[in-house]
Amino acid sequence: MADPLIPKLKQLIVDTLRLEDVAPADIPDDEPLVGGGLSLDSIDALELVVRLEKEFGLKIASSEEARRALASVSALCAYIREKGDPSRLPT
Amino acid sequence: MAGSPDPIRVAACGCVTPLGDAAATHAALLRGETALRLAEVLGRTGGDRVPLGLLDGRSLDETAPPAWLPALRTLNASIPAGDWGSPGRPVFVTGSNFGVGGLYALRTTGDPKFAVWGAPPTCTEMLRLELGWGPDVSILTHACVSAHLGLLQATRVIQAGLADEALVLSFDFLSPFVTGGFHSLKILNSGFPEPYRERGTGSIGLGDGAGFAVLSRGRGEWLISGQSLYNEMHHFTSNRGDGLGFARCLEGAARAAEGRRVWFKGHGTGTLDAGRMEIAAAVRAFPGAPVVGWKGGLGHTLGSCGLVELAVAIEAVRRGRAPGTHGGSGEAMSDAVSTGVLDTGAFDGVVCASNAFGGAHAAFLLCDA
Repeated sequence: MADPLIPKLKQLIVDTLRLEDVAPADIPDDEPLVGGGLSLDSIDALELVVRLEKEFGLKIASSEEARRALASVSALCAYIREKGDPSRLPT
Repeated sequence: MAGSPDPIRVAACGCVTPLGDAAATHAALLRGETALRLAEVLGRTGGDRVPLGLLDGRSLDETAPPAWLPALRTLNASIPAGDWGSPGRPVFVTGSNFGVGGLYALRTTGDPKFAVWGAPPTCTEMLRLELGWGPDVSILTHACVSAHLGLLQATRVIQAGLADEALVLSFDFLSPFVTGGFHSLKILNSGFPEPYRERGTGSIGLGDGAGFAVLSRGRGEWLISGQSLYNEMHHFTSNRGDGLGFARCLEGAARAAEGRRVWFKGHGTGTLDAGRMEIAAAVRAFPGAPVVGWKGGLGHTLGSCGLVELAVAIEAVRRGRAPGTHGGSGEAMSDAVSTGVLDTGAFDGVVCASNAFGGAHAAFLLCDA
C-alpha cells in the first residue's frame, strides 16, 4: 500500500513552488526533484526546504543533507518518515 | 571575460578583520588562530549556532549608526591622506551587502533611523560624509567578487587617463539578514569551514571584513596584472558543473604569470563542489603552485574578501611568510593544498582569486614592482 505521505508531498511541492501546468499526480515518485523533469533549481530547493522544515518540524542540517533528502519524492518521503515529527505525519 | 592587460601599482593597501589590521591578521593566521566562534545565526532572535567572525565586542544585531562604523573610521585613518573623491582621485566603494542589516532592523523594529544605512546609495553617501570624501564616488557590487570589480574599474579609469590614482574601499559587516540567508541555503551550518578538505558535509563561516587599496600608475611597490573577471551567467547560487568558469577566469592571470613561480591564494570557502572545481582549475592553470585559503581563519568576508585577502597577501610577501590553509585536518582535495607556512621568497608572484554566487569569478597576479 502506497505511503499516504507521498501524495501530500507532491501537493506540497506544487503549492510551495506554484508550479503551473503540473498536477501532483504528474510528479514521478523516483525521478530527481532538482535538475530533473520538473526543472527545479537550487532556489526552488531552498523554498522547499524552508517549507518542509516548518510543515514537518524537522531540521535539515546541511546542503548535502538537503540534496539527499530531495533526491526524489520517494527519498523525501523516507527522509521525513525518519526525521519528521511523527504527530505531523499521515498514517 | 573582462580583463586588463597592463599592470598597475598598489601604492597602499590595508584591511580590518576580527583579528586586527593586516599585520595583526597575518600574524594571527600564521599562528593558526581563527576569528570564528559559534554564535546564534539571527543574533538576539536566536536560532542555530553557526561559525561567525565578528569584530571585537560587536553584536550581530544592527544599531544606528552601525556598530561597525568605528572600524571603518580606523581603517580610513590608515589610508594615505588625499583629496579622495575629487576629479583625478576617484573612490570606488564595493561590497556585497553594504548596510543591508539596516533594512532588516527597519523591518523588525519599525524604527526609521535604520533606513539610511540599508541601501547602497544612502549608505555610501553617509560614508562619504563621514570619511570626508568629495563627490566622485562610485558604487560597485557583484556579490563576493565586488572588491575585484572595484580594482579592475579603478585600473581602467587610471589607464584611460581619467585619474592619477584611485581609492578602492570594500566592506561587508555581518547582520542577521546576511547570516540568515546563508543559513537558509544550509551552507552556513554548525560546522566550521574546512576549505579544500574532502568531507561529507560542506560548511562555511562568515566574517566581518573591510579593506582598501590605493591604485596608481607610477607609485607603489606592488604590481597587479592579469586582472580578469568572468561570469558564467549560470544560476543565482551555483556554478556550471564542469568548472568552466573557474578555468576561464584564471587564463588572464596565467598569461601574466608565464615564466614566474607563483603561489595561489584561493577563495576556498569550505563548500565542497566549488572547492573541488576551484582547486582543479588552479592546478591546471598553475602546475606546481601551492594553494592556500584563509577563510577557515577569517570566515568569508563576502564582497570585501578580495581586498581583505589582498592586504594579507601583501603582508605575507612583505614579511616572507604566507599562512597556510586554515581549517580541518582531513584529506585534502589535492596535493597542491598547502597547510604549512610558505616561504614567499621562493616565489616571484602570488595569484589572488575569488569566486561568487552566480558563477562569477575573479583573479589577478600580484608581484613586486
